[in-house]
Amino acid sequence: MFNPRDIIDLIAANVRQSRNPFGVPSTRFNTWWRKMPGFTRRPGEALLFTGLMYQAIPYIEATTRYLERLEGSRWADYLRWARFSRYLPGSLPGRGLSFLTSRAEKQKFNGILQTICRLLTKSGVGFFYHPEMDFYSGILLYDLGDQEGFEEHARFVVRNLKLHGVHKIITVDPHTTYALKELYPKYTGETFEVQPYFTLLRLSAGGGNGQGPVAIHDPCFYGRYLQLSEGPRQVLRDLGLKYVEVRNSGEFTSCCGGPAESVSPALNREILDRRVAELKASGAPVVTLCPICLANLLKAGLAVEDLASLAGRYC
Amino acid sequence: MALVNPNFAAELEAFGVDTALECFNCGTCAAICPLLYEHFPRKLIRYVQVGAEKKIMENAQDLWRCLHCGLCTRTCPRQANPGELILGLRRYVVARWRRP
Repeated sequence: MFNPRDIIDLIAANVRQSRNPFGVPSTRFNTWWRKMPGFTRRPGEALLFTGLMYQAIPYIEATTRYLERLEGSRWADYLRWARFSRYLPGSLPGRGLSFLTSRAEKQKFNGILQTICRLLTKSGVGFFYHPEMDFYSGILLYDLGDQEGFEEHARFVVRNLKLHGVHKIITVDPHTTYALKELYPKYTGETFEVQPYFTLLRLSAGGGNGQGPVAIHDPCFYGRYLQLSEGPRQVLRDLGLKYVEVRNSGEFTSCCGGPAESVSPALNREILDRRVAELKASGAPVVTLCPICLANLLKAGLAVEDLASLAGRYC
Repeated sequence: MALVNPNFAAELEAFGVDTALECFNCGTCAAICPLLYEHFPRKLIRYVQVGAEKKIMENAQDLWRCLHCGLCTRTCPRQANPGELILGLRRYVVARWRRP
């Protein structure tokens, strides 16, 4: 396990510098929208707010691979100096991280966001996107206990959204949804109308084309904190797809271990192995709807895909 | 031997920890916690109840094992909110690190 203080100081410094946990300009990795048709804003429409989570997964995985090698070694203590990376030219860490992530890996996660847009459009949902209004929510700072850093960042995001007159927000991942729906009103006093994308989908397709059942891995924040586990099941039913419930699902879902990734990749692996065993027992391919869970389960070699990717194949 | 701070639970309220004294130490949180680690989080909640401030600081690193998955909070029979309590303790420790 790394010294949490080193990790918190590093992430807090990065968020202060670049408004994301990596310390590189968000424009470097928030590129998914470039290949999409132009988003035009109309009055009353909702902002698609990705919270930069799906886009960041290839970078998180690259970082974790290095942390995995460092953990428990005599080099682990040197992590305390990482916070001084802010004195490097901004482009340097960005180039380093880009070098460590493959184009295919980036496209895999960017593709999920593109599919979500397509599904929303098909469902007749009025929305728009603008990269300058889309920020990391700061949720990792909150989870790690850096309340001061989280509140400062949350106020920055809220100021920006207010400046652009945003009232309605569509989210794509559970962590950003929880931050915007529950934490922002509590700590900034500002409330937005926040809806996860899957609650807005109105899809239909015939019979699932004979596809076998899928097993649902409910993310903790959707299943337990926000009690939204019915949403993905409804999407699957609308598409005529069968699903099976695994041991520990819905409100009592098991954690995949993802939140431990930054302080202890070894602990993450231990929790992950236990959840993978539960999911494998169902004998069905797994579907989930959180980028952290998805990347973590993929790392374990499980047959897993995102709900949006699955739905996108049927409509 | 450890010195206790009888006002510790009250001092933690500033960090969002206001349910520590609700806990009656049944251990449901430790039983359901996926960490399966040394009576976590029950042991740390007990330290708060008895005012063992120094013990919390000595075991501070353990606070970051918590996955914030919320299972303990969901199953606590006393609504003592163990998950949020651990999160509040993290805030307390981070503040102590930054302003000793």
